[in-house]
Amino acid sequence: MIELHERTRRISPSRLHEILMEYECTSVVDPFMGLPTHLNYLKRHGIAVHGGDLLEWFVRVGEGLVVNDMTYLRDNEVAEIVEMLPGRIYSLDMFKAWEGVFFSEEQCVYLGVWHDNVRNLRSDQQTGLAILGLWRAFCYWLQKTQSPDEMQDIPPSELAWTYIRQTEQWVTPNMRRNTVRHGDVLATMGAQSGDALFLAPPARNSFRSADARIWMWEAWWQGNPYFTIEHAYRDSLLGARAADTPSYARAIASILSTAENYPVVVMQTTEQRMPELEPILRNARPNVRIIAPHPYEIYLVATK
Amino acid sequence: MTLFQDTGGDPRAARARLADVLSWYGAVSDAAMGNQPGTAVRKASLAVALAEVAQVAQNERTALYFAGFLHATGAIGSAAYRKGEPLTDRNARMAVWDVPARGARFCASVTSLPVETIDFVRWQSECWDGTGFPDQLRWYGIPQSAQLLALADFFVRADDPEEALNAIGLQSGRAFGPDHARTFTIWFHHNAGEVTEVAMPLEALADTTPPHALLDAMADAIDHHNGVNGRWRRIAAIADGAARALELDDESRAQLALACRLFGAGEIGKDIGEDEQFDPLARLGIDVRAANAAAAAEFAQPHATLASAAPIVAMRSEWFDGTGKPKGLRGKAILPAASILAATIAYARLDRGERLEDAAGTQFDPKVVRAVMETAKAHA
Repeated sequence: MIELHERTRRISPSRLHEILMEYECTSVVDPFMGLPTHLNYLKRHGIAVHGGDLLEWFVRVGEGLVVNDMTYLRDNEVAEIVEMLPGRIYSLDMFKAWEGVFFSEEQCVYLGVWHDNVRNLRSDQQTGLAILGLWRAFCYWLQKTQSPDEMQDIPPSELAWTYIRQTEQWVTPNMRRNTVRHGDVLATMGAQSGDALFLAPPARNSFRSADARIWMWEAWWQGNPYFTIEHAYRDSLLGARAADTPSYARAIASILSTAENYPVVVMQTTEQRMPELEPILRNARPNVRIIAPHPYEIYLVATK
Repeated sequence: MTLFQDTGGDPRAARARLADVLSWYGAVSDAAMGNQPGTAVRKASLAVALAEVAQVAQNERTALYFAGFLHATGAIGSAAYRKGEPLTDRNARMAVWDVPARGARFCASVTSLPVETIDFVRWQSECWDGTGFPDQLRWYGIPQSAQLLALADFFVRADDPEEALNAIGLQSGRAFGPDHARTFTIWFHHNAGEVTEVAMPLEALADTTPPHALLDAMADAIDHHNGVNGRWRRIAAIADGAARALELDDESRAQLALACRLFGAGEIGKDIGEDEQFDPLARLGIDVRAANAAAAAEFAQPHATLASAAPIVAMRSEWFDGTGKPKGLRGKAILPAASILAATIAYARLDRGERLEDAAGTQFDPKVVRAVMETAKAHA
């Protein structure tokens, strides 16, 4: 059985929004965005948001949730994603490697069908929304392997339908230009500027403990069940080699040095990682305020 | 003038007073959201019972009670519920998503509450699968107690307990974590789905929030919700001047001051404010004013700290000539403070204050009208 992490990265966009409002920030850049639901929240509240990530599926979802102002999936379009379409040839064995390990034969077939169907949608925005909806169905399956008796058996197409249809509600314009970028932290920061830089830097070598629901979905998107997150990250997660403690500190310092034009830097961390990150931030910025609503959710707000 | 009598340094009395003010606001916010009366108490009690089953730490259980009690406070002033231009369905839904975060901000402003209350209120509508609001947290990123609060909310809103149990089972892994849904099932079978009301854990309240300041802030929020910003403050200033002119004793003035802060709650669940519906001197508006007065008095009555103002609030729709409602009281049978409150509310709404004199002898006591007019002129 696959291990699902009990600890999940928690970014509270409503709290982040309160902090950004306090500092009168109207645009924010997040180069480690992950699943950009928090950027969607900030966008809904009128902030121009720019995100970046190395995992492509996060960026694709960002196309649907962040960049997208008005496109959604109609019922017939959702139907064309969740079921096998007559006349189309599918690579049904694409995810056979996962069969019996994580998923049933039927689920693996559906993963292959969905993989092909989402690539045939009319726009990047629709693709992004579909990827998000399908990911939630995928997470449901993984969860069900852990709690088989407590979760309902839902036909795959029905589950996927429900989740994809739901994505429509998060599509909204904010009359600002919002972007997402497939690239490392320095590439994102070089391409965009804003009032605030939001950093939730991953821990050193964090890819080794990355949640299966994250890297397996990248594998699904890539169509390669043998894909591991190390392929995506290598040494480039922080824009420079960061495998050991000194080089990790240097990489973070380099990011902060690149961020010198941002009026505000908000770094989210945990109590455990504070001793590592706080000195680096204080070295880069004279004023650092600590907002610590929870040991697992600490904001270091640095101003000039 | 002090709004509340001195507690003589008794911390229990001070906490009970603060609890009364919070309870009142919890009930008012339930009405703002359109919930059944008593929803907050039932939700808080059930959440605590679930927390006992889940063996949640005692400090979290305490915070959970307050979070349940104040779960709807974000609805007061929210664009989704407040009076004003109606929103499109889509915008209304998005405004509803912001209600928990608004509630969390309110809880953060009440420093007497256990600090965990803030996050439990903020994340009470999050779903296990990440489709909830406001933050779309997922899995174990949602605090266990926030999930228990969500379960309690789902159950207390349901019409039929058995159906709710089934629905929660179906939502396992989606709205609720499987472990949390299991906790609910255990509680349900041990208690046959009966929620036993739990008393507010007063000892957990710190004495850092002055109840009068809190009540002022709440009255401001209610006025904002009703689309009449600053109304109670204008009314309170004139009413107190009139009360002085009429030589009301200190206790009556304190009750009147309290009533000025409480009467707006009666309009909270209504689509249109009474100011918008009828001229304050029109007989046509009697029923609406009486209904609002009764609703505001009902909110205040159960709370010892506020109950003394309830009769004043309830009588503000009586007419001096006995043709008012609800009881048709006449002349001196109407409390002087209630007469002052009624006349001041009307005065504050009138474009031309002199019109109040037209209602002297019929709607209002002439002496009260004179006192209100003179005070208002002095203020101007």
